[in-house]
Amino acid sequence: MASVEFKHVEKVYSGDVHTVKDFNLKINDGEFIVFLGPSGCGKSTTLRMLAGLEDISGGEILINNKVVNELEPIERDIAMVFQSYALYPHMSVYQNIAFALKLAGMSKADIDEKVRPVADMLQLTPLLDRKPKALSGGQRQRVAMGRAMVRTPEVFLFDEPLSNLDAKLRNSMRAEIKALHKKMKKTTIYVTHDQVEAMTLADRIVILRDGKVEQVGTPREIYHSPANKFVAGFIGSPAMNFIPVALNKQEGWQVDLAGQTLPLLGDVDDHQSSANATLGIRPCDIHITPDLLSNPLVIKGKVENLELLGSTIQLTSRLGESQITVEAPSSHIVNEDDEANFYIDESRLHMFNDQSGLSIYKPKGKPESVVSQ
Amino acid sequence: MLAMRRISWGKYIFLILVAGFVLVPMFATVLGGFKSLGELRTNPFGLPVVWEFEYYAQVFADGSIWLLMKNSLIIAFFSVLLTIIIGTMTAFTFSHIKFAGYKYIYNYFLIGMMFPAAAAILPLFLKIRDLGLLDSLSGVVIPQVAFGLGFSILLFRTFFEQLPAELFDAARVDGCSYIKFYWHVILPLSTPILATVGVFVLVASWNNYLLPLLVLNTEQQYPWTLGIMQYRGEYGIEWNRILAYVTVTISPAIVFFLFAQKYIVEGLTGGAVKG
Amino acid sequence: MSNDVTTIGKRSSTSSNQNVSRWFKKNNHGNRLLTLVLFLPPALLLFTIFVILPIGEAGYYSLFRWNGYGEPSQWVEFSNYVRLFKHGAFDTAVWNTFKIILISLVIQLPLALIIALSIYKKSWANSLFRLIFFLPYILAEVAAGLIWRFVFDGDYGVMAKFTEALNTDTWYILADKNWAFVAILVVLVWKYFGFHMMIYIAALQGVPKDLIEASKLDGASRFQAIWYVKIPLIMSGITISIFFSILGALQTFDLIMPLTGGGPSNSTHTLVSYLYTFGITRMNVGFGSAVGVVLFICCVIFAFTYQSTIMKDKK
Repeated sequence: MASVEFKHVEKVYSGDVHTVKDFNLKINDGEFIVFLGPSGCGKSTTLRMLAGLEDISGGEILINNKVVNELEPIERDIAMVFQSYALYPHMSVYQNIAFALKLAGMSKADIDEKVRPVADMLQLTPLLDRKPKALSGGQRQRVAMGRAMVRTPEVFLFDEPLSNLDAKLRNSMRAEIKALHKKMKKTTIYVTHDQVEAMTLADRIVILRDGKVEQVGTPREIYHSPANKFVAGFIGSPAMNFIPVALNKQEGWQVDLAGQTLPLLGDVDDHQSSANATLGIRPCDIHITPDLLSNPLVIKGKVENLELLGSTIQLTSRLGESQITVEAPSSHIVNEDDEANFYIDESRLHMFNDQSGLSIYKPKGKPESVVSQ
Repeated sequence: MLAMRRISWGKYIFLILVAGFVLVPMFATVLGGFKSLGELRTNPFGLPVVWEFEYYAQVFADGSIWLLMKNSLIIAFFSVLLTIIIGTMTAFTFSHIKFAGYKYIYNYFLIGMMFPAAAAILPLFLKIRDLGLLDSLSGVVIPQVAFGLGFSILLFRTFFEQLPAELFDAARVDGCSYIKFYWHVILPLSTPILATVGVFVLVASWNNYLLPLLVLNTEQQYPWTLGIMQYRGEYGIEWNRILAYVTVTISPAIVFFLFAQKYIVEGLTGGAVKG
Repeated sequence: MSNDVTTIGKRSSTSSNQNVSRWFKKNNHGNRLLTLVLFLPPALLLFTIFVILPIGEAGYYSLFRWNGYGEPSQWVEFSNYVRLFKHGAFDTAVWNTFKIILISLVIQLPLALIIALSIYKKSWANSLFRLIFFLPYILAEVAAGLIWRFVFDGDYGVMAKFTEALNTDTWYILADKNWAFVAILVVLVWKYFGFHMMIYIAALQGVPKDLIEASKLDGASRFQAIWYVKIPLIMSGITISIFFSILGALQTFDLIMPLTGGGPSNSTHTLVSYLYTFGITRMNVGFGSAVGVVLFICCVIFAFTYQSTIMKDKK
């Protein structure tokens, strides 16, 4: 049973490279947390500080309410799965899994008793005598996990464990990791730059950029209520459309867009509002409609580029100055250069302050609250 | 097409000529030991008309040759062992501990590769004498190790740094201290470079002449390189005896070469290519 | 008052103790510092005592006249150096060393390169040739020297056959002041060209095949492919082999002793055999050290200029 807590954690490399800035997070026992962010955002460094592989420049890290800053990795009761798997090339699968136990001075019989069930669970039993060189990518991955599991640690750490696998294997290993976590219910921290992994695995996602936390929340919160423009643009594929608009208040809030006025039905945060803002809308929240509606939320546009992706089509058009991407079911019959009517789903609008980038709009009837840090 | 063939013929004739230049002296040496002095004079390069075995037999007669070989082997064995132990330990501090200022100390070791041992041979001799190592095998081994350090540290460090960095992280998480990582992971993974450096030190030590000449005075301590010169001194121009002796003393090196070619070529040129 | 001072002193000393122990704790993860203290000193000591210190001492001793016993006391300033540069045999030794370098660059390395180019591809015949050509390199210099001493012997070897064929007097080439060193140069080429050949072969085998194929498609002849593609691509191997051959030339010794021992009348000395004959065997510590210093300076000047000019592009 282990909780993990980061209190004002900092990482500064010599030469003032500030990789992690004032990182705060409390992770509950059994939770699956994913650190997500572009490369160089400090997610791996944070994980490595927790593992004891990097010095902590400032702040405290607690495992089970005990400060671990000064402890050796082995004393922290953690296990880690690495991106390259980092299997010892000169040891067999069995020896790889057993190595930590051997170092801990466990007897041969005790080691065997622990290694066998883990190997069984991961279907490695027939491979135990092989060297890592003779294994496939997926098998190596499982050995790396076996090596972590055999120690029955309180906290599992994964550092981009699937990025060396091909797409198909990645999906099945992802499912395996998820199933294992369900079974063992151990606190897990998982670092990735792949948002699909983050969305499917996480109980909560921590989004990082330039060493700072941008948002912490469930996958649903992160997707539907991004706290700021960075998160909104980082999550979701194809990426959210951003359109600069003028925001003004008459009877209610409204924006001017491509010569039309769009009424806003939700709440704009008065303190954060400004005349110029950025409107955000995901490509799947713009719908192609027949000509008959004359609604302020329907905007005409010319289809500039169209790609058939299978079940959906993706097209680009223009609203005023800005290019937008629209995703629609492929049952729609549209062609390039056609005029089309785009209906914007107002309940899915986002609005961001141009200076701070923070979200300033809450559409009506949206249950999740925005958790920002 | 014709031109190509002519080039290719020319090439083989050239190669065979060079091979003759290399091999004829060696064959003459091996065969010379089977000839009487009179025959050696009239027929230095051909097969012996009468095969005489007494000169070879005489090389082994008093058993001193075994002592020479044993001394050479002891010197070479400890030189290899110490170079590998001390060299890997030092290289490990440069590749994984990376203490403050390690680059300066690393460069300090590299200086040693730039000048020959001979330049400071007199002060070195006095040092060996003052440390009481004169006329002992360790008096040859220790300076030899010291002079091989720069080169071996360079090769070891390069190799250690090419090992995946995550291996070290994984070992730390598994509970390895630095020393355990060195022992359980670095050393077992380094066998190729250990073989390369080992062969280099082995050959250099086996063939070394100047240092034993300087340090060793009693015949009981002599390696074969001193023995061969002494034998030559004893028998002057009785070339058949000397050639028999040369053949016997160089054959271990040649047999070793034929068996471990790959490592030897790697060891002797690998440093050049990798460094 | 005095009380205050002591408490302040105490406090600062305990806090500095704390700092030290904190610093130690932080840096000693995984026994990092302990390992360093255990692993570094053996090499550092050995290297300093047997490699670096003697060089410094050679510089110091070279200013004395000393037989190596007791303390060096007879300070003679630079007279060892003066004597050295006035000594005809030293001139010859320097000149001979220079000849070795010249022959290495003009004959040995080109020969090695030509052979490497003709046998670098993998085939059993090529492997056999490689084996043969490399063989002399693994022989001890003293053994090789004796073999060639026999070959050059006017009564028994090549020279005997040669003079017999020409019907002239027997010729003891190693005793001939004008030709002895030429004979030594032949042996040097015989002994070392295989080593350089192997360096070139290793480099040539690293040249990507498609580059050579591309040059053929571009219409390069055999010779052009060698000159414009292969040689530029193995330049780093060539640079290194030149470096080794010059450093090797500067320390030639083992081969000289069995062949001529520096004679006749000191005409075949190299720097090191000169140092051995006039410094070591006569226990002229001061004079021998002066020779060593000259040798050391030559090596250092060469190594640094070579590294900062020719090898610079490589790194």
